Amino acid sequence: MLRRFAALPAWARYSAAAALGILVLSFVQALEPGGLERLTSENASGAMLRWSVPILLAGLGGLFAERAGVVNIGLEGMMVLGTWAGAYGYLHGGPWMAVLVGLLGGAVGGLLHAIATVTFKVDHIVSGVAINILAPGLVRFLSQYAFAGASGGSITQSPVIHGLPLVTVPFLAGGDLFGWKTPDILGSITGWNIFFLSDITAFMRGFAVNVSIFTLLTLAMVPAAAWLIWKTRFGLRLRIAGEHPVAGESLGVNIYWQKYKGTVISGALAGLGGAFIAMELTGFYREGQVQGRGFIGLAALIFGNWRPGGVLIAAFLFGYPFGTALRDLDGRSTHALLLLIVVGLAAIAVVSFRRAKRVDAILAGGMAAGFLVWYLLTETAPDWLPNALPFATVLIVLVFASQRLRMPVADGRIYVRGEEL
Amino acid sequence: MRKHLSFAVLLAAFALVVAACGDDDAATTTAAPTTAATTTTAATTTSAGETTTTAPAVVVPDFCLEIPGAAEAVADGTGVTVGLTFDLLGRGDQSFNDAAACGADWARFYFGVGINEITPTDEAARATDLQLQAENSPIVIGNGFSFEAAFPAVCENNPDVNFAITDTSMLNFGATPPAPYCDNARGMVFAEHEGSYLVGVAAALKSETGKIGFIGGVSGIGLIEKFEAGFIAGAKSINPDIEVVSEYVSAFPDFAGFASPDRGKEIALAMYGEGADVVYAAAGLTGSGMFAGAKEYSEANDVHVWGIGVDSDQYLTVGEELQPYVLTSMIKRVDVAVFYAIYDHLTGNFTAGPSTYDLAAGGVGYSTSGGFIDDITDQIDAAIAQIVSGEVVVPTDPTTIP
Repeated sequence: MLRRFAALPAWARYSAAAALGILVLSFVQALEPGGLERLTSENASGAMLRWSVPILLAGLGGLFAERAGVVNIGLEGMMVLGTWAGAYGYLHGGPWMAVLVGLLGGAVGGLLHAIATVTFKVDHIVSGVAINILAPGLVRFLSQYAFAGASGGSITQSPVIHGLPLVTVPFLAGGDLFGWKTPDILGSITGWNIFFLSDITAFMRGFAVNVSIFTLLTLAMVPAAAWLIWKTRFGLRLRIAGEHPVAGESLGVNIYWQKYKGTVISGALAGLGGAFIAMELTGFYREGQVQGRGFIGLAALIFGNWRPGGVLIAAFLFGYPFGTALRDLDGRSTHALLLLIVVGLAAIAVVSFRRAKRVDAILAGGMAAGFLVWYLLTETAPDWLPNALPFATVLIVLVFASQRLRMPVADGRIYVRGEEL
Repeated sequence: MRKHLSFAVLLAAFALVVAACGDDDAATTTAAPTTAATTTTAATTTSAGETTTTAPAVVVPDFCLEIPGAAEAVADGTGVTVGLTFDLLGRGDQSFNDAAACGADWARFYFGVGINEITPTDEAARATDLQLQAENSPIVIGNGFSFEAAFPAVCENNPDVNFAITDTSMLNFGATPPAPYCDNARGMVFAEHEGSYLVGVAAALKSETGKIGFIGGVSGIGLIEKFEAGFIAGAKSINPDIEVVSEYVSAFPDFAGFASPDRGKEIALAMYGEGADVVYAAAGLTGSGMFAGAKEYSEANDVHVWGIGVDSDQYLTVGEELQPYVLTSMIKRVDVAVFYAIYDHLTGNFTAGPSTYDLAAGGVGYSTSGGFIDDITDQIDAAIAQIVSGEVVVPTDPTTIP
């Protein structure tokens, strides 16, 4: 069955996976004592989307660098540069300038990484860590001169900035089209209150109502990145730099140039992610606001098997528990998510068992049983669980998925022209 | 080769843009007063009361409140350096650290002391930073309970230096009975629950939906729970049926909850979405996200919801755009405590051990900036009178409130 599923076209596979996910959510919330509706509400998907976008951008950033063979552990620092540059750009030219300058700010970090690793052959990890240390210091230094003294600004914070305009999609969610209020298709189906169907429409509506143009543009980048990497000459050359640079060089591809391109694009995307955090999530630049999302983006890249679609799924998987937990004022959503973990671990156990991986199956099954006991014995989840959930998800996913992953062969190796690796 | 060139041109263009923007900024920075200057030579006050400025004028930031009784306090701090050691993020946090900075700035203004500022970059640096300050200053302020961990080693190594630490009693609870760590370390604690009671009263009076929210920074330290308890008790004193939704951003030992405006915004949006129309954030920087959320929610839904600030008068620090959403702030007068710690040091009256700043001592209060609560100050002041007289005892543990 799994083999037949894999043969389906990509859009069908993703739709089926999404439908399955929502089906599980519908069951989980229906089973919660007293019943819940918010796990599949538009607020839940809206929050998931908001909290996924920075991870998605960081993951896509990592993708371009690592496809070119450069490990980019400096994504975190490049996002920090993006938060600052985004706010700076906003104050000097509005939201679109914020996007542009945020992108350029990250790209500068990427360029630095490329100069260090490609031209000067510095170890990729060392250079990345250096950028992560350099970036926060640099932005504080720059803030003293750019933000301190302005209304609401200081050396650690910029004045208030705003995101790109929010839009409500016409027809799907009843947005306005040239002043005409279109029918709200998803909203009316949600109103019928049919199990599963209304859950799907409510969840989809979160993608269409009051959503930032920034978010929509980011989502559009996923197919764009897939097309660029797999279908274009640019992508082929980028990938040869990450898979077999010697072969590429022998065919006349300038590997150094490919690595530069990949790493600068990587920094630019991470910078966009930073700008998103400052503009859309927070409403100002604030020191330390990236909070490890660059590293979570790297985890998303690995979980996504160095593919854009995989990175998207991973970003949603990490963003969903985070957004839901934050909006969980009475602890019941998080409690329901415990059951979701049980279902996920049980599925892993079944699949591992059928693949004859006994250790994995026992491990996952045991953990599932443990979470089930926890779920049954409690009524609300403890305070600390919401914050731990995204990281627990990352751990569980990476533990069980890592054996099936394939990274670019020459990823992280220092390439010197004319020498074998 | 052509591609290389275009890339280089792009970079050069970017460099030019940055340089051009930079020039603009240099101009504005010079025009604005640099309130964060760390070293200033004091103005000297002559006996006639005229101020002769011999050096750059001493500037106290606009948002600093007056210190009660400061004008009568006389001390000579010339040549004395105060080692002002901030909590993480330091001056400019628009909250707790800025309040401490104000106290020191007023001491510089009135007594002419110098200020040596250090902001720790991580938890491990705290003891080192205190030691560094102690080597250069006779009076060292540590802003935040996290400095307590550095004691008693630091105070024993520096017996001639006075230490004043905020938000901790500086008592060693391991000893029986609990005793001060050293005879040169003062702990400055505040009755946050009493101040929170006042803004709880304001929230209940201003709420039209009968539902209000509380965002706590970090649970499990026992500190933020005091804010929650006071807030709920205050609100229930006005409207016993009021519904209060509470959420903590993170749990001890994860301190991210004090520095996550993005999470604060999401939580605030959820609370407003569920019908709360006044939300109080006792969560340091996270609170500024709440005000951003109040603005976003109000504009998207054509209503007006409120946020309540904490520690400093946040109306004065959030910036013009968010000011219309700051109903009031629970003010913890860290500035008063810091100012008088310096004053006591200069006059030789420095005492060790806990020193409590409650409502009666002017250590906590509420702000009226913006004028949004002018119509209800009578009721809040009545609550103050009840607390000061002992008629109302404010709880410190939210689980004890029925």
